[in-house]
Amino acid sequence: MTNSFHDEMIAILPRLRVQALSLTRNRAAADDLVQDAVCNALAAQHSFTPGTNFSAWMHRILRNRFISDLRKKRETGNIEDVPASAMAGSGAHEERLVVKELVEAMNRLPADQREALVLVVMQGMSYDELAAATGCAVGTAKSRVFRARRQLATWLYGEERDISTVELRGAVQRLRSRMEARPAASV
Amino acid sequence: MALKDKCPPRQPGKKSINRSDDAFELWLKRGLHQLFDDVTKEPVPEELLRLIEEDRKRTK
Repeated sequence: MTNSFHDEMIAILPRLRVQALSLTRNRAAADDLVQDAVCNALAAQHSFTPGTNFSAWMHRILRNRFISDLRKKRETGNIEDVPASAMAGSGAHEERLVVKELVEAMNRLPADQREALVLVVMQGMSYDELAAATGCAVGTAKSRVFRARRQLATWLYGEERDISTVELRGAVQRLRSRMEARPAASV
Repeated sequence: MALKDKCPPRQPGKKSINRSDDAFELWLKRGLHQLFDDVTKEPVPEELLRLIEEDRKRTK
């Protein structure tokens, strides 16, 4: 294995951290995910064919690791319950209401759409690259980005009715789970 | 100020929809950079680099 494998891995780390954060919505979990993906990639480096798309190979390893971890975590809890405040952004960013709105809306998106949006809009990946990085068809990649954009636009400046429906549904669910968690009153 | 107050109101007609879409796209890109740029600029954890460098030495 040539040194360039390791050089390429070091060079791609910042982008992997963004992908990991877009998937996990939590900095500590994102760091763990990147580390696990790097370990997996180092262990499997002989399966990488030099000259092929290293970036796609690495992004796919990270994504597969995330899915595998998610399956394990679902046995004890739901990752979708991570609060909005856990996702990205320093304190200074959080103070900005508009960015906070985006964080909250991003948190509502399914993980695959959130990841697709960040990789394409923020990291500048093409649909072909996204498809290779996430192991899906180009049409699926396009569709994920399109649906994510459309959903965010609806939530953020589209129809008030939709967002309040979502909020109302969340409030009802929270109330219901609190009621269920409360011990039965003695008579 | 909420985003919906900053964006121009939706008007009928293709041109205004395109303008609105462009404004949204620009805002989205800017917002995502605000959210994620810190992560890309942060130094990579030493532990991670050490892991890679140790493997480099081992596989030389």
